[in-house]
Amino acid sequence: MDASLLTIQPNAPEPIYRQIVEQLRRLIAGGQLAAGELLPSVRDVAGFHAINPMTVSRAYGLAETEGLLERLRGKGMAVAATRRASQSESQRLALLEPQMLELARHARELELPAEPVLRRLTRLLGD
Amino acid sequence: MNAVLKDTAHNTAPLAAWGLTHCYEGSNVLRGVDLALEPGSVLGLIGRNGAGKSTLIRAMLGLLQPLSGSAFVFGEPALKLGDDAKARLAYVPQQPEALAWLTAQQMLDFVGRFYPRWDAEFARRTLERWKLQPNKLLAKLSPGERQRVDLIRALASQPELLVLDEPAAALDPVARRELLREVALRAGESGTTVLFSTHIVSDLERVASEIAFLHEGRLLLRCGVDETKERYARLWLPASKSAAAPAQALSRRRHDDGSLSLVVERDAQGRWPEAAGLPGARVDALGLEDLFVEIAE
Repeated sequence: MDASLLTIQPNAPEPIYRQIVEQLRRLIAGGQLAAGELLPSVRDVAGFHAINPMTVSRAYGLAETEGLLERLRGKGMAVAATRRASQSESQRLALLEPQMLELARHARELELPAEPVLRRLTRLLGD
Repeated sequence: MNAVLKDTAHNTAPLAAWGLTHCYEGSNVLRGVDLALEPGSVLGLIGRNGAGKSTLIRAMLGLLQPLSGSAFVFGEPALKLGDDAKARLAYVPQQPEALAWLTAQQMLDFVGRFYPRWDAEFARRTLERWKLQPNKLLAKLSPGERQRVDLIRALASQPELLVLDEPAAALDPVARRELLREVALRAGESGTTVLFSTHIVSDLERVASEIAFLHEGRLLLRCGVDETKERYARLWLPASKSAAAPAQALSRRRHDDGSLSLVVERDAQGRWPEAAGLPGARVDALGLEDLFVEIAE
Protein backbone atom coordinates (compact mmCIF):
# COMPACT_ATOMS: atom_id res chain seq x y z
CA MET A 1 0.00 0.00 0.00
CA ASP A 2 1.15 3.51 -0.77
CA ALA A 3 0.83 6.48 1.61
CA SER A 4 -0.97 8.42 -1.13
CA LEU A 5 -3.94 6.05 -0.85
CA LEU A 6 -4.94 7.83 2.35
CA THR A 7 -6.76 11.16 2.19
CA ILE A 8 -6.14 13.58 5.03
CA GLN A 9 -8.33 16.59 5.69
CA PRO A 10 -6.59 18.51 8.44
CA ASN A 11 -9.38 21.02 8.89
CA ALA A 12 -12.20 18.49 9.21
CA PRO A 13 -13.75 18.26 12.68
CA GLU A 14 -12.68 14.63 12.82
CA PRO A 15 -9.16 14.18 14.24
CA ILE A 16 -6.57 13.00 11.71
CA TYR A 17 -5.83 9.76 13.56
CA ARG A 18 -9.52 8.83 13.32
CA GLN A 19 -9.59 9.67 9.63
CA ILE A 20 -6.74 7.22 9.08
CA VAL A 21 -8.31 4.39 11.10
CA GLU A 22 -11.64 4.93 9.37
CA GLN A 23 -10.04 4.70 5.92
CA LEU A 24 -8.08 1.59 6.84
CA ARG A 25 -11.29 0.00 8.08
CA ARG A 26 -12.99 0.73 4.77
CA LEU A 27 -10.09 -0.30 2.57
CA ILE A 28 -9.81 -3.58 4.44
CA ALA A 29 -13.55 -4.25 4.56
CA GLY A 30 -13.80 -3.45 0.86
CA GLY A 31 -10.94 -5.74 -0.04
CA GLN A 32 -8.67 -3.00 -1.49
CA LEU A 33 -6.18 -4.00 1.18
CA ALA A 34 -5.64 -7.72 1.33
CA ALA A 35 -4.69 -9.69 4.43
CA GLY A 36 -0.95 -9.66 4.93
CA GLU A 37 -0.38 -6.57 2.83
CA LEU A 38 2.24 -4.25 4.32
CA LEU A 39 1.35 -0.72 5.33
CA PRO A 40 3.57 2.26 4.57
CA SER A 41 5.87 3.18 7.45
CA VAL A 42 4.86 5.87 9.91
CA ARG A 43 7.57 8.07 8.42
CA ASP A 44 6.25 7.62 4.86
CA VAL A 45 2.70 8.53 5.82
CA ALA A 46 3.80 11.46 7.99
CA GLY A 47 6.22 12.71 5.32
CA PHE A 48 3.82 12.37 2.41
CA HIS A 49 0.97 14.19 4.15
CA ALA A 50 3.15 16.56 6.22
CA ILE A 51 1.49 15.42 9.43
CA ASN A 52 2.89 14.61 12.85
CA PRO A 53 4.34 11.05 13.00
CA MET A 54 2.78 10.62 16.44
CA THR A 55 -0.65 10.99 14.84
CA VAL A 56 0.14 8.14 12.42
CA SER A 57 1.52 5.96 15.22
CA ARG A 58 -1.61 6.60 17.21
CA ALA A 59 -3.79 5.56 14.26
CA TYR A 60 -1.77 2.40 13.63
CA GLY A 61 -1.83 1.56 17.32
CA LEU A 62 -5.60 1.93 17.47
CA ALA A 63 -6.05 -0.15 14.30
CA GLU A 64 -3.84 -2.83 15.84
CA THR A 65 -5.94 -2.87 19.02
CA GLU A 66 -9.06 -3.26 16.90
CA GLY A 67 -7.50 -6.20 15.15
CA LEU A 68 -7.35 -4.49 11.76
CA LEU A 69 -3.57 -4.55 11.64
CA GLU A 70 -0.84 -6.67 13.09
CA ARG A 71 2.77 -5.87 13.76
CA LEU A 72 5.21 -8.07 11.84
CA ARG A 73 8.57 -8.23 13.48
CA GLY A 74 11.17 -6.37 11.43
CA LYS A 75 8.70 -5.49 8.66
CA GLY A 76 6.27 -3.06 10.23
CA MET A 77 2.50 -3.11 10.10
CA ALA A 78 0.43 -5.39 7.91
CA VAL A 79 -3.25 -6.06 7.40
CA ALA A 80 -4.24 -8.71 9.95
CA ALA A 81 -4.44 -12.18 8.43
CA THR A 82 -7.87 -13.17 9.69
CA ARG A 83 -9.62 -9.92 9.16
CA ARG A 84 -11.55 -9.93 5.92
CA ALA A 85 -13.19 -13.33 6.12
CA SER A 86 -14.52 -12.61 9.60
CA GLN A 87 -16.34 -9.41 8.64
CA SER A 88 -20.00 -10.26 8.88
CA GLU A 89 -22.69 -8.25 7.16
CA SER A 90 -23.67 -6.56 10.39
CA GLN A 91 -20.07 -5.54 11.04
CA ARG A 92 -19.81 -4.02 7.60
CA LEU A 93 -23.16 -2.31 8.07
CA ALA A 94 -21.92 -0.81 11.32
CA LEU A 95 -19.25 1.01 9.31
CA LEU A 96 -21.99 2.99 7.58
CA GLU A 97 -23.58 4.09 10.85
CA PRO A 98 -22.08 7.62 10.95
CA GLN A 99 -23.27 8.38 7.40
CA MET A 100 -26.71 6.94 8.15
CA LEU A 101 -27.07 9.10 11.23
CA GLU A 102 -26.03 12.14 9.22
CA LEU A 103 -28.50 11.33 6.44
CA ALA A 104 -31.30 10.77 8.92
CA ARG A 105 -30.56 14.10 10.56
CA HIS A 106 -30.64 15.98 7.28
CA ALA A 107 -33.87 14.27 6.27
CA ARG A 108 -35.49 15.34 9.55
CA GLU A 109 -34.25 18.91 9.14
CA LEU A 110 -35.82 19.00 5.67
CA GLU A 111 -39.00 17.54 7.17
CA LEU A 112 -38.96 14.71 4.66
CA PRO A 113 -40.92 11.57 5.51
CA ALA A 114 -38.97 8.32 5.44
CA GLU A 115 -40.64 6.86 2.40
CA PRO A 116 -39.33 9.06 -0.46
CA VAL A 117 -35.86 9.05 1.11
CA LEU A 118 -35.83 5.26 1.24
CA ARG A 119 -37.17 5.07 -2.32
CA ARG A 120 -34.34 7.26 -3.59
CA LEU A 121 -31.77 5.34 -1.58
CA THR A 122 -32.99 2.06 -3.00
CA ARG A 123 -32.59 3.47 -6.51
CA LEU A 124 -29.06 4.64 -5.71
CA LEU A 125 -28.16 1.22 -4.39
CA GLY A 126 -29.22 -0.20 -7.75
CA ASP A 127 -31.96 -2.58 -6.66
CA MET B 1 0.48 26.11 40.40
CA ASN B 2 2.40 25.04 43.48
CA ALA B 3 6.12 25.44 43.90
CA VAL B 4 7.07 21.77 43.60
CA LEU B 5 5.22 21.27 40.33
CA LYS B 6 6.68 24.44 38.98
CA ASP B 7 10.13 23.24 39.88
CA THR B 8 9.91 19.91 38.09
CA ALA B 9 8.22 21.53 35.09
CA HIS B 10 10.98 23.98 34.38
CA ASN B 11 13.70 21.47 34.88
CA THR B 12 12.36 19.19 32.17
CA ALA B 13 10.47 21.60 29.90
CA PRO B 14 12.58 22.94 27.02
CA LEU B 15 10.54 26.13 27.25
CA ALA B 16 8.39 27.37 30.12
CA ALA B 17 6.94 30.61 31.40
CA TRP B 18 5.00 31.59 34.49
CA GLY B 19 2.76 34.56 35.09
CA LEU B 20 4.04 36.63 32.18
CA THR B 21 2.58 40.09 31.94
CA HIS B 22 3.59 42.88 29.64
CA CYS B 23 2.24 46.14 28.35
CA TYR B 24 3.02 48.60 25.62
CA GLU B 25 2.18 52.26 26.18
CA GLY B 26 -0.22 51.50 28.97
CA SER B 27 -2.22 48.79 27.21
CA ASN B 28 -1.88 45.23 28.48
CA VAL B 29 -0.54 42.81 25.88
CA LEU B 30 0.04 39.84 28.18
CA ARG B 31 -2.16 39.43 31.24
CA GLY B 32 -0.57 36.57 33.14
CA VAL B 33 0.37 33.71 30.82
CA ASP B 34 1.60 30.30 32.05
CA LEU B 35 2.89 28.03 29.32
CA ALA B 36 5.26 25.05 29.35
CA LEU B 37 6.21 22.73 26.49
CA GLU B 38 6.85 19.01 26.85
CA PRO B 39 9.99 17.71 25.14
CA GLY B 40 9.17 16.58 21.58
CA SER B 41 5.80 18.31 21.47
CA VAL B 42 4.68 20.66 18.72
CA LEU B 43 2.68 23.50 20.19
CA GLY B 44 0.72 25.74 17.84
CA LEU B 45 -0.03 29.17 19.21
CA ILE B 46 -3.16 30.65 17.62
CA GLY B 47 -4.47 34.12 18.06
CA ARG B 48 -5.79 37.04 16.09
CA ASN B 49 -3.44 39.71 14.89
CA GLY B 50 -2.51 41.75 17.93
CA ALA B 51 -3.40 39.02 20.41
CA GLY B 52 0.14 39.17 21.82
CA LYS B 53 1.64 36.09 20.13
CA SER B 54 4.94 37.70 19.14
CA THR B 55 5.28 39.42 22.49
CA LEU B 56 4.70 36.13 24.30
CA ILE B 57 7.30 34.35 22.16
CA ARG B 58 9.85 37.11 22.67
CA ALA B 59 9.27 37.16 26.41
CA MET B 60 9.58 33.36 26.62
CA LEU B 61 12.93 33.49 24.84
CA GLY B 62 14.28 36.33 26.93
CA LEU B 63 14.36 38.78 24.01
CA LEU B 64 12.12 41.10 25.94
CA GLN B 65 11.96 41.75 29.64
CA PRO B 66 8.38 41.21 30.78
CA LEU B 67 6.73 43.51 33.26
CA SER B 68 6.40 40.54 35.61
CA GLY B 69 6.70 36.77 35.52
CA SER B 70 9.57 34.59 34.48
CA ALA B 71 10.62 32.42 31.54
CA PHE B 72 13.01 29.47 31.28
CA VAL B 73 14.76 27.87 28.30
CA PHE B 74 16.15 24.38 29.02
CA GLY B 75 15.70 25.26 32.69
CA GLU B 76 17.87 28.39 32.49
CA PRO B 77 16.42 31.84 33.09
CA ALA B 78 15.58 33.15 29.61
CA LEU B 79 17.02 36.57 30.32
CA LYS B 80 20.45 35.09 31.13
CA LEU B 81 20.90 32.29 28.60
CA GLY B 82 24.30 30.67 28.28
CA ASP B 83 25.95 29.89 24.94
CA ASP B 84 25.22 26.21 25.30
CA ALA B 85 21.48 26.81 25.57
CA LYS B 86 21.61 29.23 22.64
CA ALA B 87 23.32 26.64 20.44
CA ARG B 88 20.41 24.23 21.04
CA LEU B 89 17.76 26.81 20.24
CA ALA B 90 16.64 28.34 16.95
CA TYR B 91 14.17 31.19 16.62
CA VAL B 92 12.78 32.72 13.45
CA PRO B 93 11.14 36.10 13.98
CA GLN B 94 8.40 37.37 11.73
CA GLN B 95 10.70 39.96 10.23
CA PRO B 96 14.33 38.90 10.45
CA GLU B 97 16.67 41.87 10.28
CA ALA B 98 20.05 40.57 11.40
CA LEU B 99 23.18 40.58 9.24
CA ALA B 100 21.50 42.34 6.31
CA TRP B 101 24.86 43.38 4.80
CA LEU B 102 25.75 39.76 4.02
CA THR B 103 24.52 37.59 1.18
CA ALA B 104 22.34 34.62 2.09
CA GLN B 105 25.26 32.23 1.54
CA GLN B 106 27.69 34.36 3.56
CA MET B 107 25.23 34.61 6.44
CA LEU B 108 24.65 30.85 6.49
CA ASP B 109 28.41 30.11 6.32
CA PHE B 110 29.09 32.58 9.11
CA VAL B 111 26.28 31.52 11.43
CA GLY B 112 26.93 27.82 10.76
CA ARG B 113 30.24 28.00 12.61
CA PHE B 114 28.47 28.63 15.90
CA TYR B 115 26.41 25.46 15.73
CA PRO B 116 28.00 22.07 16.49
CA ARG B 117 25.43 20.17 14.41
CA TRP B 118 25.18 22.54 11.42
CA ASP B 119 23.86 20.80 8.28
CA ALA B 120 25.46 22.73 5.40
CA GLU B 121 24.10 20.31 2.82
CA PHE B 122 20.53 20.90 4.01
CA ALA B 123 21.09 24.66 3.78
CA ARG B 124 22.44 24.42 0.22
CA ARG B 125 19.69 22.10 -0.98
CA THR B 126 16.86 24.09 0.59
CA LEU B 127 18.11 27.45 -0.73
CA GLU B 128 17.85 25.93 -4.18
CA ARG B 129 14.45 24.31 -3.61
CA TRP B 130 12.98 27.48 -2.17
CA LYS B 131 14.36 29.47 -5.13
CA LEU B 132 16.58 31.80 -3.16
CA GLN B 133 19.65 33.36 -4.76
CA PRO B 134 22.62 32.54 -2.51
CA ASN B 135 24.62 35.56 -3.71
CA LYS B 136 22.06 38.28 -3.20
CA LEU B 137 22.44 40.63 -0.22
CA LEU B 138 19.91 39.90 2.50
CA ALA B 139 19.02 43.60 2.52
CA LYS B 140 17.92 43.29 -1.12
CA LEU B 141 15.58 40.36 -0.52
CA SER B 142 11.83 40.76 -0.09
CA PRO B 143 10.50 40.25 3.47
CA GLY B 144 9.19 36.82 2.44
CA GLU B 145 12.53 35.73 0.97
CA ARG B 146 14.28 37.04 4.02
CA GLN B 147 12.13 34.91 6.30
CA ARG B 148 12.71 31.86 4.08
CA VAL B 149 16.48 32.27 4.42
CA ASP B 150 16.03 32.56 8.15
CA LEU B 151 13.91 29.41 8.28
CA ILE B 152 16.72 27.57 6.49
CA ARG B 153 19.19 28.98 9.00
CA ALA B 154 17.05 27.74 11.86
CA LEU B 155 16.47 24.25 10.47
CA ALA B 156 20.10 23.74 9.37
CA SER B 157 21.28 24.23 12.94
CA GLN B 158 19.30 21.12 13.93
CA PRO B 159 18.01 22.67 17.13
CA GLU B 160 16.44 20.87 20.06
CA LEU B 161 14.00 23.72 20.42
CA LEU B 162 12.61 25.44 17.34
CA VAL B 163 10.52 28.58 17.70
CA LEU B 164 8.82 30.04 14.64
CA ASP B 165 6.80 33.24 14.64
CA GLU B 166 4.21 33.16 11.83
CA PRO B 167 6.39 31.08 9.52
CA ALA B 168 3.64 30.41 7.02
CA ALA B 169 3.12 33.95 5.84
CA ALA B 170 6.32 34.01 3.79
CA LEU B 171 5.87 30.73 1.98
CA ASP B 172 3.90 29.64 -1.06
CA PRO B 173 1.75 26.52 -0.58
CA VAL B 174 4.43 24.11 -1.83
CA ALA B 175 7.20 25.51 0.35
CA ARG B 176 4.80 25.72 3.27
CA ARG B 177 4.01 22.04 2.96
CA GLU B 178 7.75 21.32 2.88
CA LEU B 179 8.32 23.33 6.02
CA LEU B 180 5.50 21.52 7.79
CA ARG B 181 6.96 18.19 6.72
CA GLU B 182 10.36 19.18 8.15
CA VAL B 183 8.78 20.31 11.39
CA ALA B 184 6.64 17.18 11.71
CA LEU B 185 9.42 14.70 10.97
CA ARG B 186 11.95 16.41 13.18
CA ALA B 187 9.56 16.48 16.10
CA GLY B 188 8.55 12.88 15.57
CA GLU B 189 11.98 11.43 14.90
CA SER B 190 14.60 13.66 16.49
CA GLY B 191 12.42 14.75 19.38
CA THR B 192 12.69 18.43 18.46
CA THR B 193 10.36 20.59 20.54
CA VAL B 194 8.53 23.14 18.42
CA LEU B 195 6.58 26.27 19.22
CA PHE B 196 5.02 28.06 16.30
CA SER B 197 2.53 30.83 16.07
CA THR B 198 0.13 31.22 13.23
CA HIS B 199 -3.26 32.45 12.28
CA ILE B 200 -3.52 29.80 9.54
CA VAL B 201 -5.23 27.12 11.53
CA SER B 202 -5.03 24.29 8.99
CA ASP B 203 -1.20 24.33 9.08
CA LEU B 204 -1.34 23.80 12.74
CA GLU B 205 -3.84 20.97 12.46
CA ARG B 206 -1.41 18.98 10.35
CA VAL B 207 1.61 19.06 12.60
CA ALA B 208 0.73 20.38 16.03
CA SER B 209 0.25 17.96 18.87
CA GLU B 210 -1.18 20.71 21.04
CA ILE B 211 -2.72 24.11 20.61
CA ALA B 212 -2.91 27.19 22.74
CA PHE B 213 -5.39 29.95 21.97
CA LEU B 214 -4.09 33.36 22.95
CA HIS B 215 -6.81 35.94 23.15
CA GLU B 216 -6.46 39.46 24.48
CA GLY B 217 -3.32 38.57 26.37
CA ARG B 218 -4.68 35.42 28.03
CA LEU B 219 -4.54 31.74 27.15
CA LEU B 220 -8.17 30.78 26.55
CA LEU B 221 -7.54 27.14 25.86
CA ARG B 222 -4.62 24.77 25.97
CA CYS B 223 -5.31 21.26 24.75
CA GLY B 224 -4.21 18.41 22.50
CA VAL B 225 -5.37 18.92 18.91
CA ASP B 226 -7.23 15.60 18.72
CA GLU B 227 -8.78 16.01 22.17
CA THR B 228 -9.92 19.53 21.30
CA LYS B 229 -11.76 18.28 18.24
CA GLU B 230 -13.39 15.49 20.18
CA ARG B 231 -14.25 17.45 23.27
CA TYR B 232 -15.88 20.64 21.99
CA ALA B 233 -18.85 21.24 19.74
CA ARG B 234 -21.33 23.92 18.87
CA LEU B 235 -24.76 23.57 20.42
CA TRP B 236 -27.59 25.41 18.71
CA LEU B 237 -30.83 25.93 20.60
CA PRO B 238 -34.03 27.35 19.09
CA ALA B 239 -35.43 30.45 20.79
CA SER B 240 -38.12 28.42 22.59
CA LYS B 241 -35.48 26.28 24.30
CA SER B 242 -32.83 28.91 24.90
CA ALA B 243 -33.75 29.22 28.58
CA ALA B 244 -32.52 25.65 29.05
CA ALA B 245 -29.01 26.56 27.90
CA PRO B 246 -26.25 25.22 30.12
CA ALA B 247 -24.64 27.82 32.36
CA GLN B 248 -21.16 26.63 31.45
CA ALA B 249 -20.09 27.44 27.90
CA LEU B 250 -16.91 28.69 26.27
CA SER B 251 -18.86 31.15 24.19
CA ARG B 252 -22.47 32.15 23.90
CA ARG B 253 -24.05 34.04 21.07
CA ARG B 254 -27.69 35.03 20.72
CA HIS B 255 -28.99 35.37 17.18
CA ASP B 256 -31.58 37.87 15.95
CA ASP B 257 -34.37 35.27 16.03
CA GLY B 258 -33.70 34.51 19.69
CA SER B 259 -31.93 31.23 19.02
CA LEU B 260 -28.66 30.58 20.76
CA SER B 261 -25.25 29.18 19.74
CA LEU B 262 -22.92 27.92 22.44
CA VAL B 263 -19.56 26.21 22.42
CA VAL B 264 -19.99 23.31 24.83
CA GLU B 265 -17.74 20.64 26.25
CA ARG B 266 -18.25 16.94 26.96
CA ASP B 267 -18.33 15.95 30.64
CA ALA B 268 -16.03 13.35 32.20
CA GLN B 269 -18.27 10.55 30.85
CA GLY B 270 -18.10 11.95 27.33
CA ARG B 271 -21.66 13.30 27.33
CA TRP B 272 -22.82 16.64 25.98
CA PRO B 273 -24.80 18.94 28.30
CA GLU B 274 -28.42 17.90 28.81
CA ALA B 275 -29.81 20.68 26.63
CA ALA B 276 -28.30 18.91 23.59
CA GLY B 277 -31.06 16.30 23.88
CA LEU B 278 -33.94 18.79 23.68
CA PRO B 279 -36.18 18.73 20.62
CA GLY B 280 -34.86 21.11 17.97
CA ALA B 281 -31.39 21.28 19.53
CA ARG B 282 -28.41 20.56 17.29
CA VAL B 283 -24.85 19.58 18.09
CA ASP B 284 -22.32 20.28 15.34
CA ALA B 285 -18.75 19.09 15.40
CA LEU B 286 -16.31 21.96 15.16
CA GLY B 287 -13.04 22.18 13.29
CA LEU B 288 -10.33 24.13 15.09
CA GLU B 289 -10.85 27.13 12.86
CA ASP B 290 -14.56 27.31 13.70
CA LEU B 291 -13.79 26.82 17.36
CA PHE B 292 -11.24 29.60 17.21
CA VAL B 293 -13.68 31.96 15.50
CA GLU B 294 -16.45 31.10 17.98
CA ILE B 295 -14.43 31.79 21.08
CA ALA B 296 -12.32 34.69 19.79
CA GLU B 297 -15.22 36.81 18.66
